[in-house]
Amino acid sequence: MKEETLSLKKAFKKAFINFISITPMMLAVIGLVGIMQVYLSPEILATFFGYGSMTDTLVGTVAGAVSMGQGMISYVVAEGLMEQGISHYALSAFILAWVTLGVVQLPSEASIFGVRFTFYRNVLTLISTIVIAYVTVLTVGLLS
Amino acid sequence: MKIQFKGMKFLSIVLIVYVILLIIETPDTLLAIEKSASILLSLLPLFLLIITITALINYFLKPKQIIKHFGKESGAKGIFYAVVGGIISHGPMYAWYGMLADMRSQGLKDGLIVTFMYARAIKLPLLPFMVDLFGLLFAIIITIYILIAAVLQGKIIDILEKSND
Repeated sequence: MKEETLSLKKAFKKAFINFISITPMMLAVIGLVGIMQVYLSPEILATFFGYGSMTDTLVGTVAGAVSMGQGMISYVVAEGLMEQGISHYALSAFILAWVTLGVVQLPSEASIFGVRFTFYRNVLTLISTIVIAYVTVLTVGLLS
Repeated sequence: MKIQFKGMKFLSIVLIVYVILLIIETPDTLLAIEKSASILLSLLPLFLLIITITALINYFLKPKQIIKHFGKESGAKGIFYAVVGGIISHGPMYAWYGMLADMRSQGLKDGLIVTFMYARAIKLPLLPFMVDLFGLLFAIIITIYILIAAVLQGKIIDILEKSND
């Protein structure tokens, strides 16, 4: 029993040390997120849209990838963009990219998982996001 | 156990950017610092949760078991755990890097990390917002496509890893 308690303590210590070791990286990402939230407002984002469904999907993906913050914020921003007439293609790509891609966290991801893994994952995610956004809107159009 | 900090260069670059911005655009930069501090504070409970989950995984799952459930031979069960884990995991992706890296060092395969990361696009608490914004049909269809993409991405990464070995 004593041994188990010590092991649990050890497990917590190990988890804590592992977590602490990546705090500089997380602080850097959080710092960048703060800058992005101030300098990349929904008004600025809206100016990039409105050039056709394919271009808007690509722009939505890039905009979502460079924007960061709580997932909830992506919906608030998307709602504002929708009111300005931005297409569903762009908005779904934007929301998906917001959660799955992250330009500001790329250095951390590469440092922890390796450049090759980060490259493959982000390329696959980028392609998936564009395809899903496009195909979802098409499917919904067909079914409704 | 010695702590080896990761990302010191990255943090230094961000700090330099802040110093430059502070000189050029003081009010906006102060706002950025305020926003960053508020993000950090809001994430503290999540950090505690992640440390606890990592410790419990380390305690209950020995490397052999991690390899069995999440390793190269884990099969459909591993994919299921990765998808469910991705869907229920909360907070930003970078907060989970430490736990994933820890499990990876004990045998977690890359394909499942990728599946976990993409399945995080399904945010259960945010589904009502999606339904409100795009409609129920849209929410159902995009969720199905995300699940398919999460599994496919994992499979592709595994194939790429194998071909590179």
